Amino acid sequence: MSRKSLRSWALVAGAFLVLAVWTVPLAWTLLTSFKSDRDVLAYPPVIFFEPTLANYKEVLFGPTNVLGNLVTSVIIAVVTTLLTMIIAVPASYAFARLKVHGKKPLGFYVLATQFVPPIGLIIPYFLILNQARGLDTYWGMVLIYLTFSLPFAIWLMISYFEDIPREMEEAALLDRATRLQAFLRVVLPQARGAIAVTVTFVFLNAWNEFLFAVVIAGAKVKPVTVAMFNYISVEQTRWGQLTAAALIAMIPVIVLGIIAQKDIAKGLSLGAVKGVSRR
Amino acid sequence: MKRGHLKLTGIGKSYGTTNVLRGVDLEIQPGEFFALLGPSGSGKTTTLRIVAGLEVPTVGQVLLDGEDATTLPPGKRDVAMVFQSYALYPHMSVFENIAFPLRNIRTPADQIASLVREAAARVKIDHLLQRRPGELSGGQQQRVALARAIVRKPALFLLDEPLSNLDAKLRAETRVELKRLQRSLGVTAVYVTHDQEEAMSLADRMAVFMNGILVQQGTPEEVFRRPASVDVAAFLGNPPMNLLPARIENGVANIGTASFAVPALASLGSRDVVLGIRPPDIAVAQGGIDATVTMRENLGDDVIVDFAVGDRLVRARSAAMRKLAEGDRVQLHFEEAALHVFDRESGLRVAR
Repeated sequence: MSRKSLRSWALVAGAFLVLAVWTVPLAWTLLTSFKSDRDVLAYPPVIFFEPTLANYKEVLFGPTNVLGNLVTSVIIAVVTTLLTMIIAVPASYAFARLKVHGKKPLGFYVLATQFVPPIGLIIPYFLILNQARGLDTYWGMVLIYLTFSLPFAIWLMISYFEDIPREMEEAALLDRATRLQAFLRVVLPQARGAIAVTVTFVFLNAWNEFLFAVVIAGAKVKPVTVAMFNYISVEQTRWGQLTAAALIAMIPVIVLGIIAQKDIAKGLSLGAVKGVSRR
Repeated sequence: MKRGHLKLTGIGKSYGTTNVLRGVDLEIQPGEFFALLGPSGSGKTTTLRIVAGLEVPTVGQVLLDGEDATTLPPGKRDVAMVFQSYALYPHMSVFENIAFPLRNIRTPADQIASLVREAAARVKIDHLLQRRPGELSGGQQQRVALARAIVRKPALFLLDEPLSNLDAKLRAETRVELKRLQRSLGVTAVYVTHDQEEAMSLADRMAVFMNGILVQQGTPEEVFRRPASVDVAAFLGNPPMNLLPARIENGVANIGTASFAVPALASLGSRDVVLGIRPPDIAVAQGGIDATVTMRENLGDDVIVDFAVGDRLVRARSAAMRKLAEGDRVQLHFEEAALHVFDRESGLRVAR
């Protein structure tokens, strides 16, 4: 075997190893979701078993179903994403184009939100929402998520907007477009990749969020991440239903990933080759 | 009144405490091809952007066809612009790029197609209408930018170094076409460039900018023949004018360790000046100034020869010097009528 092919074999093996870190737990979850309670707890674990849809039936239609919670999660994630984008797109464009005070502090603020352990924010947020009667409400959840997603989204998109040559807008203005037309018809179509990337990140964060949800949500407004938690109780952990619910909860994320895939790839590479044809 | 008249009075622009433009007065007649020439940072592009409405001058007034346009936004002026980077819209086809200005002024759909085709045909890109800008060569992109600018028949056509991204051969070709296009449209063109050759060949009249000041304007011939200052003289011509600090004393010029008689300058008395002589105005002649060939550069038609005159360098350009070789000792004659005299202190041209 030549040295080169040895090297490529080693690379492939390494790639599989890295891949396994994600795929093995996922495969295990998938298998478990089709197992009966007896097979789940069998030791040594069984690979071949008689598959059952009982877990999915229970999770979707049984007395402990999470269907309503899925709807709640969709509402929260979609509203959070929509509001974030409606505010963040024009905001980041303004930050990129105008001499706005607070451009540098914004970057620091976004970073600073990462310094603070979320656990340190939960109590103040809980107290504030409690006073404002925002616990166990949609607006309370969305508001809390916006405090993270909005600065993050603005900060993420600024550099993309900065990369769109200013001359292109000036050309549009000279071509008799209004400022709004120039933005909507010249700038925005070129920011598609950036918007796709941002939407995906913001939606994912809102969809997957658990820590704040578990504190702020209640009986009325309970996202699926929190609802799933109910399958783990003092007496027993209902692994079959937990994994089935987890897999169902992954579906919207996968769908979004597939839809946005092309634009995301474009958006990521756009950021990588900065200002190729600029003076 | 014919469309496309432009007048700038007392235009100045500063960002904070830095003045990028001071006291620019300029009048451009309808149908004229006018070049703004200068090195980078001289204020020529800022002037163009002020005309376009992309910048508002700090002081001064912009008159377009007799109306005050100083603070008018770009879309309210009847101007079109070709950018150095072309600034095509990458997500639109060539057709849509050219149609964009028409759609913005709500041209009826049935007219758009024919107007786009007409503009594209003028710059010979009518076979590329369905392509995206990214699929075109630099020269083709440049033509799309031109077509987009002419499609709605503006009164004033602004060009910001439109040829600088093309290779040398294409640049020379496009230059000719550009002039022909401007003439056939009868539109006023304001053309920014740092390339003196481009300005000389294209412009009916031109303005030379240095350090934010309009230092000279006139026909290319006037500016080339009678540069108003040492800076302008040094900027025009290839190779540029020889500029020799000299002391004139009773009709004798002393340049460094060499000296020669210039009876025509006797009237200047004793004075510190800078003498200018263009490379083609130098000839080899018996009884002239002693010089030694230090370098010889073959251009094909002509040769450029570097001479050491005393302790100074003088460059000449001519076909007759082809026979010279490095190390040759010759005598040079400076065409007296072709001598330019500038004041040493101010750098301004001295009347003679």
